Formats: sequence, C-alpha cells, structure tokens
Amino acid sequence: MTTPPAPPRVPAELAAAVVDPHAYAQRERVDTALARLRADLPLGLAEIEGSDPFWVVTRHADIKEIERQADVFHNGDKSTFYTTRDSNARVQMLTGGEPNLIRSLVSLDGKEHKDLRGVVFPHVTPRAIKPMEEAIRAIARDFVSQMLSAGNEVDFAAEVAFLYPLRVIMTVLGVPAEDEPFMLKLTQELFSNADPELNRARAALSPEELLKSLWETTMELEGYFKAVTEKFRANPTQHINSLIANATINGEYLNHRQMMGYYIIAATAGHDTTSNTVAGAMWALAERPALLGQLRADPALINAFVEESIRWEVPVKHFMRSAVADVEIGGQTIRAGDWLMLNYQSANRDEAVWADPFDFRIDRKDNPQLAFGYGVHVCLGQHLARMEMRILWEELLPHLTAIEMAGPGERTISNFVCGPKHVPIRFKAA
Amino acid sequence: MPPFQRWRCRNCGLVYDEALGLPDEGLAPGTRFADIPEDWYCPDCGSEKSDFELIET
Repeated sequence: MTTPPAPPRVPAELAAAVVDPHAYAQRERVDTALARLRADLPLGLAEIEGSDPFWVVTRHADIKEIERQADVFHNGDKSTFYTTRDSNARVQMLTGGEPNLIRSLVSLDGKEHKDLRGVVFPHVTPRAIKPMEEAIRAIARDFVSQMLSAGNEVDFAAEVAFLYPLRVIMTVLGVPAEDEPFMLKLTQELFSNADPELNRARAALSPEELLKSLWETTMELEGYFKAVTEKFRANPTQHINSLIANATINGEYLNHRQMMGYYIIAATAGHDTTSNTVAGAMWALAERPALLGQLRADPALINAFVEESIRWEVPVKHFMRSAVADVEIGGQTIRAGDWLMLNYQSANRDEAVWADPFDFRIDRKDNPQLAFGYGVHVCLGQHLARMEMRILWEELLPHLTAIEMAGPGERTISNFVCGPKHVPIRFKAA
Repeated sequence: MPPFQRWRCRNCGLVYDEALGLPDEGLAPGTRFADIPEDWYCPDCGSEKSDFELIET
C-alpha cells in the first residue's frame, strides 16, 4: 500500500501575504506573492498558525473549474471568507452553529441558494434593468454636476465613487436618501473592519474586538431592516427590499436569517464593489493621460474600459469553498472537507490568460475576467453594476479634458471586499 | 440531421446542450439553439442569448 503524496505547502511568507489585509492595501505586495505562486505553486496548501489549513487557488482555469462544480465545492459548509479558528468558534457560538455571521446568498448552496436567488434574479436581468437607465443617468448627472461645481480637485473615491453607486442601489432597493449615510457607514464597518480609518471603532482592533464590532454592526443592520420588513409588508412595491420582505418559498416567508442576510448583502455588496471599481478606474485614468482622449474620441470604448476596470480592480479579493468529495483540480487531489481560497485578484492577473496582465488596456479582444465569479454563484448584480458604471463614464468623461493624480492614492486595509479609499485627482473641465 | 451542438454563457459558464435542452426552462431535449426565442436569457445569470458562444468540438 502506498501513502498518497503530501500536498505541496505554500511557503510561509507567501501564505502570510495572501491573507494580510495590509498586503492588499499595498497592491504590489500581494501581486508579487500571487505571481510567484502562479509560477511556482499555483495550487498549494497554506498552513497559518491559528487557522485551518486551506488551498490557495491562484490560476484562472482552476478557479473557474471549482466554481463550475458548485455541487462539489460548497460555499456555506465552512466560513465563506478567510478566518481564524478562534473567530470561527465565536461565530458558531453567536449563530447557533453556523460558520458565517450572515446567512446570505454567498454562503448558501443547493436548493436554498437557488430558491433565494430566484426572488431577486428576474428583476436584475439586462432586460429587467433597462427601464432604470434614465433614472440612473439622472443620478449620474447630479454627481457629475456636483463634482464639476466644487472646483478642479476632488477625492474621487470619497466624493463620487462611494456615493453614486450607493444612491443607485438604495433607489433600486427602496431605501430613502436620508438613510444613505447610515448604509454607507455600516457597509464600511462590515467590509473594512481591518482598516482603522473605516471600521466601527475607528481604531486598530484585535481579532476578538473585530468580531465583536462586526456583530454589533450586523445587529444594527438587523434592527434597521426589521422596520423595512414591516413597511413593505404593509405596502408592497416593486423595490428589491419589498420583494425580499414579501417573498415566500413553499408558502412561507423567508426565515429571519435568510431575510436579514438578503437585505444586508443587497444593501452592502450592491454598492461597495461598484464603488471600489469606479474609484480604481479613475485612478487608472489619472495615471494614463492618453486614455481619457481615447475614450472621449470614441465613447463606444467605454464598455471595454468598464470591463478592464473590473478586471483591474477586482473588488472581491477572495471567497472560500469547501470540498464535499475527493476531486482532482489542477493536478492536485483535493480531499472531502478541504477548505480552498479562490483568489480572484490572482485569477485576473493570470499570465496564461492575459499576456500583459499588469497593463491597463481597453483594446483587449477578449477579457474573461472573473471578478463577478462564475457558475451558479456569479454575481447577481453584475448587469446593474456594468450599466451604472457605463452611465457614469458616459456622463462624466465628455466634461473632462485632463485628469491627473493630485496626491497619492490610498487603498483600504482589507483582504476581502476592498479597493481605493482615497483617489485625489486634479482635472480640467471641458 | 446535423449533430447537436453545445453553447456556453460567457458570463457564468452555463452550458446549453441541444441534445438535453433545458426542460425546467421549457426547452425540450433536441431544441436547437437557433430555435430558442431571441428574448430568452441565461437562467443562471440573466445574460442574453447573444452572450452565448458555441463550444467547438
């Protein structure tokens, strides 16, 4: 009898980099680590003290294959994002044994996922969102007008990129404009909890304090959405929050955790990802003077610009999966119960797919970026995200003749959903 | 009869196999991709019919 070979181990310094929130804030650091892994060990096991071991999946093809096999690689059996054993134990204590604090679409599988996704899905297809185009364009015009009237310098991340997608998604959800600051604050607390500038405590926190603050944010969101349920059950509308409040599966309303998870994912991931991409796109524009001229001369290139900015910024850095059966992926044997990190930042820099992945180019013939994921868990809001980004650039770029960075840009300290938090630019208006 | 073909959604990877159809979506086995109505969309991600590409065999 032969013993199966031990899985190849990711070198400790590279394993540390792929989970370090600071490495993503200094993008080159994590890009360097991921490029080394793609070259030398594209699928290896990371062992980090205090965490369960996990495979780091870095290749585009392997991530696609894992996402394609959603029946074999589950989202919700273990934590859907990287966490430590201690944090996971506390989450299980708080949730009564579930591995995720929030029970949302990204941490569900099988029939429950399909049923819940079906509540909103018909309302966010390209055809369903097309009638929203003019309303979204009006929102974009408001933000462009505010930006142009405020001088020739702006922190584009804080003043435009964080706020425009927020206004769009809150309109679609049926959240009043006066609640937008609350939703932005809680979204940042949720996704940027490792960043002392944006988290709930506005301070560097221990893992235990981080989890406590996440729980407090979640409870505050649940309190808010309890009233939303009451409001939309009394007076149903076509807003997404009303669909969630009134949805039934087998004749029953969604249960508390399903409903709260749905509200929270729609209200947070529904704008933060787009905000990060828009901010990253402006940063790329400001550093490439010729790009603005190209886009102004041929606005039909804006779709390619949007797609490249999604590839470039890749706002969701990773999700975790867990295998339910032994399966071979990328030449390695993954065992039932194994935990895997799908690193989307790495997938979107894969040299096997893009000859020049570290160049920002809008002339790519094919751009199969994986920032929205793949398979049955592909981003529910991807078509809305693309449309609102296209509209913003269509409205803004004709008004600008030059853009440059007015100071150093800065990225959020996070290894999960993140992007630029400051993009100071100087511009010349047309 | 020409052989059945397979088509893949560019955005989510769903494969439409003409031999199998998609009975849950009202497309019987043997339905040619060309015979699917133009306003049909991907049942997993909502992408339009034009976003499907032929899988070369």
